[in-house]
Amino acid sequence: MATTRNVAILGGGHTPWGTREATWKDLAQEAGKATFDAVPGIEPSDVEGLFVGTVQPERFANQSHLAPLVGELLGVEATKMIARTELACASGQAAIRYAWLAIAAGQLDVALVLGVEKMNLPGHMAEAHSSMLNVMDREFDGGNFSNAPPFFALVAQRHMHEYGTTREQLAQVAVKNKNHAAHNPYAQFQREVDVDDVVDSFTIAPPLCLFDCSGITDGGAGVILASEDVVREVAQPDDVAWITGSGQASLAGNSMNNLPSFSSWPQATIAAENAYEQAGIEDPLAEIDVAEVHDCFSISEIVEYEALGWAEPGEGGQFVEDGRSALDGDIAVNPRGGLLGMGHPLGATGVSQALEIVNQFKGAVEPARRVDDPSVGLTHNLSGTASVHSILTFAREVPR
Amino acid sequence: MTAEGDRDRIELPDTIELPRLLDLFDLQTAEYTGIAPFYERLAEGRLSTTRCADCGEVHFPPRVVCPGCLSDDLAYVDLPDRGELFAFTEVRAGGPVGFEDDVPFVVAIVDLGDVRLSTRIDDARGEDLAIGDPVELKVVDVVGPADLERVWFRFVPVAD
Repeated sequence: MATTRNVAILGGGHTPWGTREATWKDLAQEAGKATFDAVPGIEPSDVEGLFVGTVQPERFANQSHLAPLVGELLGVEATKMIARTELACASGQAAIRYAWLAIAAGQLDVALVLGVEKMNLPGHMAEAHSSMLNVMDREFDGGNFSNAPPFFALVAQRHMHEYGTTREQLAQVAVKNKNHAAHNPYAQFQREVDVDDVVDSFTIAPPLCLFDCSGITDGGAGVILASEDVVREVAQPDDVAWITGSGQASLAGNSMNNLPSFSSWPQATIAAENAYEQAGIEDPLAEIDVAEVHDCFSISEIVEYEALGWAEPGEGGQFVEDGRSALDGDIAVNPRGGLLGMGHPLGATGVSQALEIVNQFKGAVEPARRVDDPSVGLTHNLSGTASVHSILTFAREVPR
Repeated sequence: MTAEGDRDRIELPDTIELPRLLDLFDLQTAEYTGIAPFYERLAEGRLSTTRCADCGEVHFPPRVVCPGCLSDDLAYVDLPDRGELFAFTEVRAGGPVGFEDDVPFVVAIVDLGDVRLSTRIDDARGEDLAIGDPVELKVVDVVGPADLERVWFRFVPVAD
């Protein structure tokens, strides 16, 4: 691994997620305040790099040049580096990734990463559906009015067709994650559900029902990243999340016309193998304690078990059915509540996932969804037609 | 301070013409797009795409540069007008702006041999379809707001 300096996430903060009576700018300010409030020892004046993950503010908020706007809103003078990142649903992780690389490369010592999305426009729900179709090939997928739910319905249909994955197994992912979210005060959906609730919810695009789908969500989240020198000044080095590995892959395809598979995600496998190698993870199932993976739809998490090397191809459904991704399973998957329970304010999701790993390491989450003494964590995002997969690994122990 | 009734006003238009950015369909003539031959052929009822004259790769969607070898020596070739359903679903909610009431509609991946393309299946409900079913090309007109004739392609079920 070629990075030169250790980098950790010190901590961060969160806005309530859901349908918010708030503008993009309101959410950015709330998330920024929550972040600085949660990280004693770091003030806005300490921040040298500012990275803002947000996907569609040009459409949902009619606003560009978001990172300097956040600087103005939070009184942050970015004297070393500033950028907005857009990688569709992985934009928040992309922002963390660039902050990490800038610090690891010695360009700066302290970065604020903020993920923000405003998606609910009262009376204009269709705007969100339109904005989900232009992350594919707008001309050749959008012209068919295909957006995220039908695309992932096709994946579910193929996975069921090829492997015999069941409707109930899809529902079990939603039940697990939504029942975690029921204990997360920041979640959009805080109601416990059972398998019947999921399969009986409104059918969006067979086989996917409403509860198989993440929400259309307003929200923000923020984290502070720092170099090892700064971490040792302002925090205990075993009370943070050190970034230990990264993997990211995209295989010359984005449109639904040019994907390598509809039932597996080889990009995720490449990303996971690279991240595991960098982090020194030889047996992910035994070594990873907590993972926040991109369950934008219930089927996504099942395919991810397989692509990330936790289950054999076709056995992802059995993996959740057997409880191996439960809080007390082999890997606690999505204790935050996942996208299915938390909702999915696009650019904020990756940031919130990383914050969850830090908070799980600190033991600072509600007892009903707390993982027992975790020391190794992982976050995963897919974006677009699952054409890109992005993975970061974390450890409580300072990397050597 | 000006009394409320006497203030100057900023008047917004009641309606704004659909901006090009919000139009799901590209302008299709050579004045606007490098793949105008695709649309010209489609208007004649032929589904076509580009094939690289240098490396032989068949693309879909059609390109102006070959993603296989970066050659720009591409030729248009017809695609079969019949194929098989590889995957499909029926969208029952979530149409884009302007098409909120267009549901339900069927989206699908159709296998045409050289390419596997995303499309819509007209004249069918999802419950009537199965993976492997034969489907046939159908060309549709795209009407308004651009003052240009535009076309798009869909597929329909066909007897074996």
